[in-house]
Order: sequence, then structure tokens, then C-alpha cells
Amino acid sequence: MKRRVFAVIRKEFIHIARDFRSLIIILVMPVLMIALYGYGITLDMRCIRFAVVDLSRTPQSRALIASFTGNGFFREVAGDYTPDDAPSLFRQRRIQMMLVIPRDFAASLATQAETTVQVLVDATDANVGTYIHTYTEQVLQGYASSLSGAVQPILRLEPRLLYNPDRKSTHFFVPGLIAVLLMLVSALLTSITITRERESGTMEQILVSPIRPVEIVIGKVIPYITIGFADGALILASARILFGTPVHGSLLLLALLGTVYVFVALSFGLLVSTVARTQVIAMFMTVMLTILPTFLLSGFLFPVASMPTVLQYLSRIIPATYFLVIIRGVMLKGVGIAELWLPIVSLCAIGTFILSVAVMRFRISLE
Amino acid sequence: MGPDTTVSVRGLTRDFGSFRAVDDVWFEVHTGEVFGFLGANGAGKTTLIRMLCGLLEPTAGTATVCGLDIRTRTRDVRRIIGYMSQKFSLYEDLPVRANIEFFGGVYGLPRSALKRSIARLTAELQLEEYASAQTRSLPLGIKQRLALGIALLHNPSVLFLDEPTAGVDPIIRRNFWRIIYDIAGRGSTVFVTTHYMEEAEYCNRLLIMHQGKIIETGSPSELKTRHDRPTIRDVFIRLISERMQEENAV
Amino acid sequence: MRQVFYLMQKEFRQIVRDRFMIALLFVAPLVLIFVLGNAVTTEVLGIRMVFYDGDRTPFSRELLAHFRDSRYFRIVGYESRYRELTRLMDRGEAQVAVVLPAGFQRDILRGSAPTVQVLVDALDGNSAGVALGYVTDIVRRFHKQAAVSMPLPVIPTGGRRVAAETRFWYNPNLESRVFIIPGIMAILLVITTVLLTSLGIVREKEIGTLEQLMVTPIRSWQLIAGKTLPFCVVGFIAAILCMVFIRIIFGIGIAGSILLLAVESVLFILTTLGMGILVSTISHSQQQALFIAWFFMIFGMILSGFFIPIANMPPLIQVLTYANPVRYYMTILREIYLKGTGLSDLVEETVALAVFGTVVFSAAVLRFRRTLR
Repeated sequence: MKRRVFAVIRKEFIHIARDFRSLIIILVMPVLMIALYGYGITLDMRCIRFAVVDLSRTPQSRALIASFTGNGFFREVAGDYTPDDAPSLFRQRRIQMMLVIPRDFAASLATQAETTVQVLVDATDANVGTYIHTYTEQVLQGYASSLSGAVQPILRLEPRLLYNPDRKSTHFFVPGLIAVLLMLVSALLTSITITRERESGTMEQILVSPIRPVEIVIGKVIPYITIGFADGALILASARILFGTPVHGSLLLLALLGTVYVFVALSFGLLVSTVARTQVIAMFMTVMLTILPTFLLSGFLFPVASMPTVLQYLSRIIPATYFLVIIRGVMLKGVGIAELWLPIVSLCAIGTFILSVAVMRFRISLE
Repeated sequence: MGPDTTVSVRGLTRDFGSFRAVDDVWFEVHTGEVFGFLGANGAGKTTLIRMLCGLLEPTAGTATVCGLDIRTRTRDVRRIIGYMSQKFSLYEDLPVRANIEFFGGVYGLPRSALKRSIARLTAELQLEEYASAQTRSLPLGIKQRLALGIALLHNPSVLFLDEPTAGVDPIIRRNFWRIIYDIAGRGSTVFVTTHYMEEAEYCNRLLIMHQGKIIETGSPSELKTRHDRPTIRDVFIRLISERMQEENAV
Repeated sequence: MRQVFYLMQKEFRQIVRDRFMIALLFVAPLVLIFVLGNAVTTEVLGIRMVFYDGDRTPFSRELLAHFRDSRYFRIVGYESRYRELTRLMDRGEAQVAVVLPAGFQRDILRGSAPTVQVLVDALDGNSAGVALGYVTDIVRRFHKQAAVSMPLPVIPTGGRRVAAETRFWYNPNLESRVFIIPGIMAILLVITTVLLTSLGIVREKEIGTLEQLMVTPIRSWQLIAGKTLPFCVVGFIAAILCMVFIRIIFGIGIAGSILLLAVESVLFILTTLGMGILVSTISHSQQQALFIAWFFMIFGMILSGFFIPIANMPPLIQVLTYANPVRYYMTILREIYLKGTGLSDLVEETVALAVFGTVVFSAAVLRFRRTLR
């Protein structure tokens, strides 16, 4: 048994090693993505370009403009505009916001409790829209309190940011990237190689030998587990070196659960290979069934709780959802089995189910 | 070059890196000949054929096919040659008829000519019953016949067959050679590479290659008398072992 | 020209016979639109919150009610032991914990603002920031309402306010999906053209039919046209389906000129087809083509501003995005789709696409011709 499995493993490794380009991509891609995301994403601060239509032209209106330009969040695009210019300025992407100060601004400030200015926002990107809205409100509040004295707060909030005090997106991103890449490498490579053997007829060749199906599967899968782990380790190491992303919990536990997860991913790949006739189909099915959901629905980038109910249910049958909770917990929170038993059990249950279906189908597909 | 010379090869050479696959080869082939390339695997047969078809650029030397230089008039050469490679490939996911129509279309045959060609060939190669079958489901022998039919669609003046009978049974092989003679009889020149020695006996003329070089050429009977052996197989074995001995001596 | 027709006919026959491809063509856009349209949201909802009330007075209960009524928070428990809070957060069952100290009401009435601790799971820095914003907002509302309903000495009256009358153009409800959805067209076009083209060519290489085609008198441009045009058509069908689905599912139509969108798409496809051909020339197997294509596609998408706004990237990477054709197409798509922007305001992007298309496509054709020999 050992010898035969070893033969398959060796053959598979030779395949991998010979395909130098793919190997480079498999190994370089994660590091590039880490670098990109690590250096790439700042959550806050962008300079909002805005134009002012000052119909008031009073010291008060100029003071309001100054409080916008003075805080570093807004940058004025100078020019003599009217509100009618807003559409064309938005379309030219020269401004993102237009502030219209009404003619009676100063008079209203003196007599009324509430004075209104008009704010036009290019809200195509809802994020930017929200951002502009928040900062505009802040500036206006600051301006108002500079007129009438600040309001005493009724209570003081003392926020404490746990686990990631600097709110570094890299730390959050690294575990997710590991989950996605392990899935990508394991499921995609498995489904494609097995389908390739079937397509080119070499599977038949292997089958007429005394090797058992289980041995083929083990032999084909071990090299990809290795690659998956190499990838995972590479991500961990590069995140550590580049950004100081910590592993607070037990590395052993992480490796153990990573193995479980990789098995689930491989089972998916195996399952796909029993259905797909060609490599192209195998690839598309794997992408649709595993990578896309892992990317979008597991909570990797977008919080699950914000999604519609249907998608929330869907996310519960995706292995990556549980693995993400586990890996983030172990790496960033430093928690262990005591806290994570529920996701661990769920992951194992899903894994067992998929693996048994895959092996069953694989057996059938060989006959 | 004589008046009935179809193919004239002058000093063709091809290197792959530091490896010389074809080494300064010269020969001529006459119209209507069935011309065989004989050689062990890796002797350079396929490389030579691929150069003649314009699939590989020669490193040195040149050749003409029907007077057309293969280096400068590649496209015109392709119009008049047919080629069936070692692993002639068809679109397995298309039916037989679609495959034929497609390749006919690619050769730019007018629709009416294509129709006639298809009718004639399917009859000649006994493919009628398979016309609407899935290519994938055909037995190997039929696939090969189909492949040959496709290579003949545009009535090529020169037909290059690279191991056309690999893997088919003797009866089909014999059948195949009958077709090859028919083609040659109609005035086409046929190039065949093979390593079935008994097939070599069917050729009008043979060229034996070893490590990129021509080591012997002549008709099968000429070769047998010259080397005093009863079959081409024996001639071949003798020539190759002589070569090997020489190399070992050096 | 006839040869191109036959090549295309063959390609279409293969596509039509492949039931899977047809399914993919129809299902992929639908799934992508549904999932991306719903999953990709930067809105943070349903934040799991646990509440520690050390005061148990009308004031503390009032503040609690504010949180309970907010659609942003889902209260998963009330804890009376402080230690239990961190345990819940460790297990990920709660993301935010609010701690009201004993004497909360008394301190407010005295005017000596009590300290309310807010523990936030900051793993997801973005969501954490948003959650804190919500908390602040709710406290402000509590403050405002307390001023009305309860006799509070600390609230000064007669403060003046400057209010913003904000109009959110193009996306009045500030839905993040609006921004994302047009980008799906770009994804579909990239997948159908880059991936299918490269795989289509490499597959013929693998099975040997490409060589068979090469000994025919077909010209390389005919071969390229015959191999790429069908996937162009497939891409466009997918894109049109995509637009229809977007209209039906999310009610988002095209604000600008469809003709302009079509022209820009053709320019874009020139680049992606070129990429597909290039990938096929450097790949020996479908598997390899797949990986190389994915590599380019993933970075093309990441650096296009599809998920992550380019303005949020560091300067160096922002410069890098200028070398990414998807970036320009993404801008064009969004501008035409959502704002109805015309050609005059998209000149730079259009020129960029045209230049990319010409350069990449001709480079691809040249390389392809060389590999043919």
C-alpha cells in the first residue's frame, strides 16, 4: 500500500515541479496579495474635493468655509460656481461634494435657532457618501458650537478596542487570506488534476494497475496538502515579517485545524472531479462552488450579519465561515478549544459529510 | 531538379538548443511516389516532416514543394499539401460531419466542391455510416480513416503521413495502404514515416535516418540486394547496428 | 473571410454542444449579481451586543431601549458578571459590550457625566469603527431625548444649530450595491474573454488540432479572429443578460448612453482578448493557462477599484493602477451606468482603453504568429 501511494505522490510532485510557472504563481500570489492588502488599504482619510457656492458672502459664511477647509478632511476646488454646475462637476469627477450657503445665511444665524445649508453629494459610492455625510455633520456641529459654546456631554464614552487596538486591517485580512488560498489551492488543484487524468485517459491506465481508489486519492491529495501548507506558512511568515501580524494562540492547534480545513477543501475538489468532464468545467464548478462563496459569503471581507437572511443561511454551510472564526480566534485573540469548540465541531461535521459523499461518488465514477 | 520532381530537399538542418535533430539532409522525391522515412524513435523523421509542412522553421538549408520554397511561400505550400500527424486530432465533441465540414471550410473549398469532396471521400473510405456519429465514440481505426479523409479533402499534391497506422490492427493497416496506393496512383506524392518494417516494403522508395542524418536511400529491392538481406527489417537492423558499433569505436 | 466563418461556426457548435457552457452563460451572471449585490456591503448591520447594566434605573433602561430599537444592533444577552463579557467576546458571540456603571443615573442628574465603557471587537477594524460610530450616535439621541423627557439640569437651552440639507445624488439611499453592481459586467467580460479565449486556444494546442489548423493555408489573423470573435459574442451575451438581470433584480438601469457603453466595451474587450491570446502563448497546458489567467484577473480586479476604492490605496499602488486597463473600464462603467456621463467627460479613460487595446492586442497577435512558426 505504502509503495503504491508513494508512487502516485512522486508522480504528482514531478508534475507540479515541472510546471514551474504555476508553482511560482501559487507561491508568489499570496505574498503579493498580503503586501498589497497590508500596504494597500487604509480605512479612513481621503481628501474630499468640494466646491462652494457662497450666496451669502458674509464674514459668517467665510468662517463656515474656513472650518471646512481648515480640518484637513476637505479640499476646496476653487471656482465661481452655481448649484447648476453640480451635475457636470460630478460627471467630470472634479468634486465629490458641493456646499451651497444660502443668501440669508448670516441673517438666519442671528435670528433663527436652526439654519440650513445645502450639501450636494456624489453618492455613487455609498461609502464615500456616508463618509462625507459624517464629516460634514461634524464640521457643522463644530461651527455651531463655536458660535454658542459647546454642549456639555451627558455621559462620557470610553471605548476599548480589543484584539486589534490599532484597527489594522492587515491583521484582520491575513487569516482570511489563508482560508481563501488554502481553499483555492486545495480544491482547484485537486479537481483539475483528477479531471485532467480522466480527460487524457491516464486515469484508466492507473486504474488497471492493482492500486485501490483510496490509494489514488491519498496519493494525489498529499502533494496538494503540502503545497497548501507551504502557502499557509508563507503567508503567516510574510505577514509576520512585513506587518508584525501575531499568532497569539497555539500554532499546533492552528496546524491541526488547518489540516481539517484542507481536507474539507480537497473533498470538494474530489467531488467536483467526479461530476466534471473537462478541466474547464472542473475549474468553473470549483470557482462557483467553493472559491466564490469562500470569498464573498464567509465573512472574509464582508460581515455576514449584514447580508440578507438567505445568504446568512448559505454562509452557515460554507466550511470557510467556521474556519475563519477559528483561525481569527487562534491567531488574533489567542483563544483555544474551550472557546472554539462549536465552530470546530461544525467544521468537522461538514468535512465528514462532504468527504464521504465525495469518496462514494468517486468510487461510483470509477466503475 | 528533374521535371517530375515534387519535393526537393537541400541541406535541411534543425537544431533544438544544442541538439541537432536533423543534420544537413538532401534528397528529391518524384511525382506519384510513395516515399518512406524509416528510422528509430528520435531519428529526426517527425522533425523533417514538420519542417516540410512549414510547422518548424529550418535552422539551415531549404526545400521546395512543387517548386515552392517552404521558407518564403509557406502559405502556398500549405494549400497543396495534406498532413496527418502522429496524433492526428479531431474535435471529439463534434460529430463526424461537422469535423469534415470544418476542415473543408478552413481549406477554403467552395461549398459545392466541398460537398462533392465529402461524398467522394466518405464513399471511398467507407465512412458513410459514421457521418452523423459522435467523433468521441468512434473506434481508433475509424478515427484514423476519418483523419486521412480530412487530410485529403482539398486534393493535395503532396500528402505527409506521420506514423499513420500506429496502433491499428493489421487488417485496417492493409486497408489503409490500399488507399495510400490509390492516392499515389492519382498522381499525388505520399510521404510516410513508419516503424513497422513490413510496411516499409510497400514503399516505392525508402530513406533510412539515424540521429538526424540519412544513412541509406533506395527502393526496398535495391536496399535488400545491396546489403544482401531478405527483408527490410534485416537491412535496417544491420545498418543501425553498424552505426552503433562505429560510434562506440569512436 | 470564409475561413473565419467556418472557424466561428465550429467554435459555436462546440459551445452549444457543451450544455455546461450554456448553463454557465446564463447562471453565472445571475449568481454573481445576486450574491455580489447582496453580500458586498460595507454597511454594518446586526452587530451582536451584550449589555452590562450595573445601575438598573430608569435612565439605564432608557439607554438600553435605544440600543434595542436600533436596527444596527442585536442584543444577544444581558450579563451581570463583568468577567463573563470578555468570555463572550473571546468566543465571538458578542462584538460589542456596553458597560453601564453603578450610579449611572445619579451621576447624570448630578451633571458629573458618568463613564460608559464600550468594549469593541476590533479584529475587523472597519466594522469596529462603524460600530463605535453607531454607539456614539445612539448616545447622542439618548441625550437629545433625555433633554425633552426628563428634567435634566445639564442641557443648555438656546444653542444654535447649523443643519445640512443633504442630497445624495445618483444613490439616494446610500446602498453600497449600487456602486458594486455595474462592476459585475467587467468581471463577466474578463472571465469570458481572457479565460475562455486562452483555454480555447491552449486546448487545441493540447489535443493537437491547432497544429492541424496550422498546416492549412489559413492566415494567422483568420485563426485569431475565428478563435476570439465567438468568445466576444459570448461575452456580450453574458453582459447583456447581466444588464437585464440587474434591471429586474435591483431595478438599476443605465443612466447614460447604451451605445457609448457598447463602444467602450469593445475597446476593453480588445485588451482582454489580447490578454487571453498572450496567456495562451505562454502556457503549455490548460491548467497552466488557468493559473496564469487567474493571476492576472485577480490582480486586475483588485487594482481596479472594484472592491477597494483606489483613493484608499497607498500612493505607490495608486500609481500602479494606472497600468491596469480594468481600472479605466470600471470608471467608465460606473460613470455611464450610474451618472449618465457622456464621452466628453470620459476622454482620458477612453483614450487609455484604446491605447491598451491596440498595444496589448497587437503584441498578442505578434507573439501568437511567432509561436505558430
